[in-house]
Amino acid sequence: MIVDAITKKIPSWTVSNPKLLKSIKWMGQHISSPENRLILGVTALMSQPFIDLYNKNVDEETRKVSAARTVAKIIAGTSTGVFIRWACIKAIDAFTKPMAKGVARTWKNLLLPTKSLETLSHYKNAMGTIISLAVMVCTNFLIDAPLTKYLTNKFVDKIHKKDASKMKEVSDE
Amino acid sequence: MNSSVLNKFCDFIAKHYGDRPGKMLVHTGVIGWIMSSAAQIAAIIFNDKIPKEQKMFMIPQEFGDAFVNILAFYLVTNTFKNVGQKLVASGKWLPKDVKNFLVNNKLAKGLGEKGFDVLKKLTGAGTKVPAQLLKSYEDFGSGVDIATTFAGSILSCNLITPVLRNLYASHRQKTQMAKINNTSNNVSIKYNQPHLTDFQSGINRSYLKI
Repeated sequence: MIVDAITKKIPSWTVSNPKLLKSIKWMGQHISSPENRLILGVTALMSQPFIDLYNKNVDEETRKVSAARTVAKIIAGTSTGVFIRWACIKAIDAFTKPMAKGVARTWKNLLLPTKSLETLSHYKNAMGTIISLAVMVCTNFLIDAPLTKYLTNKFVDKIHKKDASKMKEVSDE
Repeated sequence: MNSSVLNKFCDFIAKHYGDRPGKMLVHTGVIGWIMSSAAQIAAIIFNDKIPKEQKMFMIPQEFGDAFVNILAFYLVTNTFKNVGQKLVASGKWLPKDVKNFLVNNKLAKGLGEKGFDVLKKLTGAGTKVPAQLLKSYEDFGSGVDIATTFAGSILSCNLITPVLRNLYASHRQKTQMAKINNTSNNVSIKYNQPHLTDFQSGINRSYLKI
């Protein structure tokens, strides 16, 4: 119902600009979860830390630590998320080689669906992303969390040093 | 792994996500957020450098972040994706060549309205649609699917979620701090109460001071 209501409000649009049309079609073919994760991470860095820094419901120290951790979390999560998704989608290529009819499956087409698809690219992206989630069950704890902790501590130390030098300047005056 | 189980798994993925990149992004996004939130909560709990008072804010913040993020991601992103799909499927948003084909072949009656199905019109009985035109429509649909899913995920993850989770977490922090303050007040009253033995021995005279 909500979808119908929103769709009704949106005006009609016939895309005639060839460059725009090419870009939209290109996105559908080439953009998948790694690019989505990267764009989410970059846009997150442009908004989330500032929302934390200007959160008036908590004291200033908490605001700073919270913003530091948010930046650390975004950097750690985005870098590992993008890399693992990209690597898994690339790896799927090795297991989805086309096979001739009547020929037995080998490891090279282990992950091909039994029914043929018009294009395999969406399927490969989907399978690669799902396998990357299984990989991330381990890497979230082994890489993400420790990397977030390490970066948070680095940023918090920098904030404290900056605050300490500011206090020293004020007391010297 | 049993090959028939593997085949079923591959066919399931192909059936549900083989031509729907937006749906795949939404579903895998939800699972991804659940897993990363669990790891981030663990990271805060085991980080000795964050003081207890700040952990009291950040742990509920992370729980709130996880809950709101996952719910907002699913609701907002899924809505954007569905709106995008409907706009293309109903013909409200179309590439020019597809629209021209429908108009020239007198198939455009009701174009853009609820219930109109562009794909059915293109592949209907008696319609000789060039394969290239069908591909143009499908590629356009995939592109809009991806673009609208991206827009929804950016809005939910970067604007809606941070604001809502901060409101939730700071409320939790205030509640927790109030509980701790209440507990410490009760402890100090208990130990300051004088006993009969204090009067007898005269050891503790602090409460006798005027």
